[in-house]
Amino acid sequence: MRMGGRVTAVCCTFLLVQFANAASAQQKIGDPPEASNMRLVGTSDLQARSAYQPTIHHQGDRWIAYVGHHGGTDDIPDPVNPMTGKAEPNGTSIVDVTDPAHPKYLRHIPGQEGKYESGGAQMVRICDGKDLPKGDRNAVYMLRTFGSEAHEIWNVADPANPVLVTRIGGLKDTHKNFWECDTGIAFLVSGAPGWRTRRMTQIYDLSDPAQPKKIRDFGLSGQEPGATGAVPTELHGPISTGPKGNRVYFGYGTDKGGFLQIVDRDKLLNGPKEPTPDNLKFPEIARMPLSAMNGAHTVFPMPGMPIAEFAHDKEGKSRDIVMIVDEAIQNECGEARQMVWFADVTTETRPMMISSYTVPEASGAFCERGGRFGSHSSNESMAPVYYKKLAFIAFFNAGIRALDIRDPYHPREVGYFIPSITAATDKRCVTIDGRDRCKVAIQTNNVETDARGYIYAVDRANTGLHILELTGAARAVAGLP
Amino acid sequence: MMRSWPVIVAMFLALGGLSAVAGYEMAPQATQWREIDWPFPRDGWPAGRAFRCGVAECGAEVEVYLRPKLGFCNCDSGVADDDEVDRVSDVDMISPRFVPLKAGDVVDVAEMRGRIRAYDLDGTRTAVGIAVSHRCDLMAVAAQGGADAARVQRATLRLLESREIGAWMAAAMEGR
Repeated sequence: MRMGGRVTAVCCTFLLVQFANAASAQQKIGDPPEASNMRLVGTSDLQARSAYQPTIHHQGDRWIAYVGHHGGTDDIPDPVNPMTGKAEPNGTSIVDVTDPAHPKYLRHIPGQEGKYESGGAQMVRICDGKDLPKGDRNAVYMLRTFGSEAHEIWNVADPANPVLVTRIGGLKDTHKNFWECDTGIAFLVSGAPGWRTRRMTQIYDLSDPAQPKKIRDFGLSGQEPGATGAVPTELHGPISTGPKGNRVYFGYGTDKGGFLQIVDRDKLLNGPKEPTPDNLKFPEIARMPLSAMNGAHTVFPMPGMPIAEFAHDKEGKSRDIVMIVDEAIQNECGEARQMVWFADVTTETRPMMISSYTVPEASGAFCERGGRFGSHSSNESMAPVYYKKLAFIAFFNAGIRALDIRDPYHPREVGYFIPSITAATDKRCVTIDGRDRCKVAIQTNNVETDARGYIYAVDRANTGLHILELTGAARAVAGLP
Repeated sequence: MMRSWPVIVAMFLALGGLSAVAGYEMAPQATQWREIDWPFPRDGWPAGRAFRCGVAECGAEVEVYLRPKLGFCNCDSGVADDDEVDRVSDVDMISPRFVPLKAGDVVDVAEMRGRIRAYDLDGTRTAVGIAVSHRCDLMAVAAQGGADAARVQRATLRLLESREIGAWMAAAMEGR
């Protein structure tokens, strides 16, 4: 009897502890943010629109944040813009962050009507007209996606009053573009008519944004029009090192079947352009597959990294590194862990995975908190303040994570910030026994940095923009005062 | 102690019994279909269920493979076109060299809408790919057989229309 009572008591205590852990892990409105070596400087609610890419641009004596948005939600398909009083499909937010403690919302440019991934204007890149070979020197150009159907270029020299310059339409999807400001070459992630994949690359010369010139379509053999058989994994996004580096790194996949493709930029731009299997293969240098359980959202090149540990080695003192960030897509850990990988691509034809990073799940019971847990994207700024020293990873309900990557063979977390939820934070649901069970959690989706060292995190669940700075040991890694 | 353990053991036995009953009820009742092991190597999606029907019952040997792919579909447009069937229906696991015989058709399976398409495999066999969706989730079905595509398609749809498989698909799509 007494033993039976003890067994029951132990079981009950265990269940209570489990329940308490799960309950305490969930965020509540009014809870403070969770942080280590990172501090909140300022916020903008971004009109409670689900956010994808932030791009921060130094524009004259101002700093402007351009933030792309997903489409609206089932509950609020077209949020009201308080500046116009009108319901507007999610598009692009333009925010003056010159004073990061007091961001000033300047303008919302509506995007494509549609909910979640089917609408909005997720991606945004900025180039100054004075940098583009044939641009208007007084212009500042914003390249953005328009939902799934087009790419657009706007002149945002006056960021409060943008003017549409041109549009590349007729597409079935778009996504994570890249634009070289010094050449004008743009790698547009598109769903071109006839191609067998939702996302491939259309390469354009946008050196004169008013006169886009198509260079070629590019993808993987098997994706081109008229092909048969298995269709390779779709593209997520490329990053180019420009004519000097002469490489374009393409990330394929989202949370499954991903790989890194290393491409010779010169051969890509100037080689044979008809989308035949041989021509598509021609510029490829190497392909490095990930596990079938991981995809590649961001592939961020860091060539020529000196590795302190190898300093006295006769060979291989510095290495060419690519950081690969997977994207988690399932709520409450309903898939394999999506995380961060580092590849040594010094020997380009034999790229090799050398290390990885994930947030320890147990450090915050993140599988219980609600929404997605896992990585999504990294900062892409190559400004010296952080480049090859610190990387910032958007980790959905685990917020933003700061990694010391000076030794990419041994990346180390040195700080984090999990923003508080607000009344605007949208729920995230899983289906259990045919019914939705929903929780509310922060969903840090993307992150970018500026040359001053501020960190900009945006939320997929409508919580807005969080502007952060480093403190303590993390700040010391960057050499910031 | 002596009083608690029998209760716990009884609960486990009861749960096991219920699972066994549920498993039996989930097996297709049509006698011509026999469940077989999932024949493909591990990929990004969890393994699904596989069934075989013999020559005597289906006119040719037909195998059907089906599994849910959660979060793999456009939440609004569903399975939009034949290219999507080529990409997601798992026919590529049977052979990476499949050639569509013609344009696909709209199909409804277990109250889910999508598309069905027939393929030639290496000039010797035929295959059928089916992709149907609910919200952002997808049910992928691939089938192959030595018969003409119409016969493989008929046999496959008969299996999918069975109450048992319909119930399993609904449960597999997270209890829809």
